[in-house]
Amino acid sequence: MVNKLIKEDTKMFLTGNEVLAYAANAAEADFMYGYPITPQNEIMHTWCKLLPKTEAGFLQTEDEISAGFSTIGGILAGRRAFTATAGPGNVIMQDAMSMAEMMRIPFVCAVMQRGGPSTATVIYAQQETTLTCFGGNGEGYRIVYSTAGHQDLFDYMIKAFNTAWKYKFPTFILADGYQGKMREPVMLYDPASRGITMEKTPAILRSGVSADMKANHIRNTFNLEEELMEELDKYEEEFNRIAPEIEEYEEYKADDAEILIIAHGIVARSAMTAIDELREKGIKAGLFRPITIRPLAVKPLRAACQRAKQILFTESANGQLARMVLEKIYGITTPYSTLYKMGVGVTGDDLVQKVESMVKTPAAI
Amino acid sequence: MTRTKIALAGEGGQGVQSVAKILVEAGYETGKQVLYIPNFGVEQRGGVSIAFCQISDTKIGEPRYSKADIVIMLSDRAIDRCTTYIDENTTVVYDTSVCTKKPEVKCKKLIGVDANLIANTELSARVFNIIILGVLLEATHVLGLEDIKNAMEHALGKKFDAKPELRELNYKALERGMNLLKEKAGV
Repeated sequence: MVNKLIKEDTKMFLTGNEVLAYAANAAEADFMYGYPITPQNEIMHTWCKLLPKTEAGFLQTEDEISAGFSTIGGILAGRRAFTATAGPGNVIMQDAMSMAEMMRIPFVCAVMQRGGPSTATVIYAQQETTLTCFGGNGEGYRIVYSTAGHQDLFDYMIKAFNTAWKYKFPTFILADGYQGKMREPVMLYDPASRGITMEKTPAILRSGVSADMKANHIRNTFNLEEELMEELDKYEEEFNRIAPEIEEYEEYKADDAEILIIAHGIVARSAMTAIDELREKGIKAGLFRPITIRPLAVKPLRAACQRAKQILFTESANGQLARMVLEKIYGITTPYSTLYKMGVGVTGDDLVQKVESMVKTPAAI
Repeated sequence: MTRTKIALAGEGGQGVQSVAKILVEAGYETGKQVLYIPNFGVEQRGGVSIAFCQISDTKIGEPRYSKADIVIMLSDRAIDRCTTYIDENTTVVYDTSVCTKKPEVKCKKLIGVDANLIANTELSARVFNIIILGVLLEATHVLGLEDIKNAMEHALGKKFDAKPELRELNYKALERGMNLLKEKAGV
């Protein structure tokens, strides 16, 4: 058992990376595996700085491949373990994440997106959205929460552990370098004070050597094509069945919105700033923000798109979320426009100007 | 508007991020909403370093903004990189003793200060950034001198206790920076 540091509500002024380390401790995580990459390093730094007090564990591995598989090792042994990565690290950790999909391992990872392709920038992007949702080989199932600031980071990091261990699908916190590096106030709390009970984390891989311990054989290797499909069909059925319990979204002034902005993560906050300004000018704009970007909350998403006269997709990427959304809103004919800035922050002003131009010249797609 | 948007830019190592941290810490301690993003490249030293700060009475949405209320530029490269954050409502401050050029911008007010020269000749090169903090304090009027002093104590208290003359030096630098802008405003 680890020592929990936050025993009562504590308001702090932290970077997002620090928040994630505190959240993992609040969730009673007992081990972190990791390999340094900007902009997520301070998750590891903070976790390590707190070790004398928390009595948790940490292992710095030789690379992200090893960090990913070590995390799996810890989890198989019944540790509430996690890791964090970004950018090229996220790419090479996909092998382990894929294994977690196949073997149904409650893998928890925080991704702090940076610019790509390759080394690119250490600062910020939303360019790892597709990778984090669909990065593995084969067609595995994962759950991805996209956060929009420090309170989200704390709330959803705690939730990620419970989601992962309850449903046994790898679960991700998808944030970015802005959220990792920026400082803003946040309320830290003991999950128990919010009625949250942490899922138990029994060892998954059991040896079966003693009479009271039944062996548990989990596989990532199959001999026959049909054997594999049978397993994956089961996963798909289960994922679709539990999706409604997991799906989360947020709407902001979307009820009567004529122009609906669809954005995830920190960009959604810029959209809120823009929407307030546009409403003051008499333009009915609103926001649909998927919090789980996998699975997407399809029903409310379709309803919001149907209600609006125009849709605006905006991302610090070239339409990665939009592609996922467009597939799910097939058949809805509301025209849309886009504001994509690859690896660059979207500001409120950017969106105000874009929406104003859409009022003058409506979208045609 | 209850929100003040500040961009503070210089060369890596000039202490831009340290000053920004003190500023937002002071804002947080006085109960304001604050948001601070440090922005720099892959290099450990050198390169342009920008601090995006926002201090507000209400909840802050966008993490980054298009145009700032105050832009402080402490090198030629900072001028090149930060001109994009300036419009007719922006107060622009640049250091004439570091920059070799004058920013070519349309703004509300363009103020040149020679903080680097003052630091080197009158105080100490180490407090150059604290002079800039004084300039920033006077230019924004969002926070009081005592708020900043408390935040400095928070950040530098241990160093101050070890060497009390450092506290005096930093206070002097802070006030020198504030007066620098007051003098300019009087012109």
